Amino acid sequence: MRGQGAEPLLCWGGDWDLPSVHTESLIVLAYAKFAGAKLTVKPVDWTWRTITAVIPQLNYECSSVTEPTQILNFLRKNRFNADYELSAKQGADTMAYIALLEEKLQPALLHTFWVDAENYSSLTKPWFAAHSPFPLGFFVPGRLAGAALSRILLTKAEAPLHSITEVEGKIYSDAKECLNLLSHRLGTSLYFFGNAPTSLDAFVFGYLAPLHKASLPSGQLQQHLKQLHNLCHFCSTILQNYFTEAGRPHSNQDAVDANLQKLTQLVNKESNLIEKMDDNLRSSPQHRLNRAHRPAPKPSFQTAGRNSTPA
Amino acid sequence: MSLAAEAFVSQIAAAEPWPQNATLYQPLRGNQVLMLSSVPQAYLRMCGLPVRVCCRANAEYMSPSGKVPFIHVGNQVVSELGPIVQFTKAKGHSLSDGLDDVQRAEMKAYMELVNNMLLTAELYIQWCDDTTASEITRQRYSSPYSWPLNHILAYQKQWEVRRKMNAIGWAGKGLEQVYEDVSQCCQALSQRLGTQPFFFNKQPTELDALVFGHLFTILTTRLTTDELSERIKSCSNLLSFCRRIEQTYFEEDKDSQSAGSQYSRGPSLF
Repeated sequence: MRGQGAEPLLCWGGDWDLPSVHTESLIVLAYAKFAGAKLTVKPVDWTWRTITAVIPQLNYECSSVTEPTQILNFLRKNRFNADYELSAKQGADTMAYIALLEEKLQPALLHTFWVDAENYSSLTKPWFAAHSPFPLGFFVPGRLAGAALSRILLTKAEAPLHSITEVEGKIYSDAKECLNLLSHRLGTSLYFFGNAPTSLDAFVFGYLAPLHKASLPSGQLQQHLKQLHNLCHFCSTILQNYFTEAGRPHSNQDAVDANLQKLTQLVNKESNLIEKMDDNLRSSPQHRLNRAHRPAPKPSFQTAGRNSTPA
Repeated sequence: MSLAAEAFVSQIAAAEPWPQNATLYQPLRGNQVLMLSSVPQAYLRMCGLPVRVCCRANAEYMSPSGKVPFIHVGNQVVSELGPIVQFTKAKGHSLSDGLDDVQRAEMKAYMELVNNMLLTAELYIQWCDDTTASEITRQRYSSPYSWPLNHILAYQKQWEVRRKMNAIGWAGKGLEQVYEDVSQCCQALSQRLGTQPFFFNKQPTELDALVFGHLFTILTTRLTTDELSERIKSCSNLLSFCRRIEQTYFEEDKDSQSAGSQYSRGPSLF
């Protein structure tokens, strides 16, 4: 039986006031904070995992989960659900906005950090090379940059007809439009759906925070983001409220109590959004039977000091 | 197209009204497995713009970006829904003018959801699922060509699609997972549509054209299993949405069919 330790999450380390410089790791870390899940953050910096592991990766018992969407689904299934308060329509909106981020914003972000020559040589490559053990520092940045470039070309350009220069203009204008749309949608509220952060907030934070905080020598997209004050304020608020000590998952006692209360409330409610969707898809007596006989809580997910077992 | 070229085309487009002989080119009917000619066709009909449909074997190579279908208007050739929408907007016809900023953001987000999920799933099922690829897709794709070109082109296309799937991380997904994703996408669309006639209440927009095009294509194309169309049919409001749009905008096809006009008659939901 595992002790009170939380699940290990492999991710890239932090810098520039952020808990992690890697977008996908940030998404998972932010969501874990919002949902009150305690994860042991294991930075892969300076280990051989920089080249062997798929990051981010959550190790649970004998298996592992990768990709932010899968990890979030996994956390939701284990009752760490930040989306509980959302209506079905808001859940649909979440899916749509995440698709918008992936299609419109991500190519430009990949380009800014990995393909743009000035940024890559003065910021990204030195950082990743410095945070990989010798001799991997020679290979890791190049590999990641190659993956980023091929992703942009395969999804945005009709390779091999177009080269990267022809699609650059298009992907940056798409990304600026996407930032504008996000800014319109956020408006003056604190988070995208009311006063509590949800998975959409985690995704937006994961994409925007590195762009907001990194000191990029050539950053037209960063300039554009800085003009959208509500999005900058959004990033700073989340950093302030949830990542008071950048890079560490432990928060102070008040925040732990607040999280504990919230978690107990969540646990006492009967269903969450994903189970509702699962029910719709597979509504069958067998599934209802499974819900009635909920397995005992896995000890490894207990937060510090929690005594009650869920219903 | 680069940004400068796009702006130039828009300027030229604004100069002339919509001509009567605008043509939409698509591959031969038996050729492409899942045809998406319905998307721009639905959009143009919603705008009330006349367009003829022509089937050509080499449509993919005629298109400026390699994507089919595309339209030929006056002396410009435009492919893909995004540029077509901009093109018609430059000519003064637009469906989404009445939306405010937040609604426009939602519309774009949902369009990306459809592109991201449905389009990728369609490509995956056609080309990455071995059964479908060998029995249906490769045969249909290579039918207009003679040996050995048919083999080469079919395998080349399959290789390209598989590379793309690798890049975006869909290569590791199994078929079941892809069907699940499509179901979730349809659930999301169904939730958004609710009981309204269109996605943004009374007026159709490009989102309606896009959703209709994809769903219609999936529902009317024969694949190895009916799993995909069953998943869509489980959302009844989406099914009635498709029927309603087909009735409203494609009804005149049935009348002109007997007159032997140039409108090519396609499959139907009825």
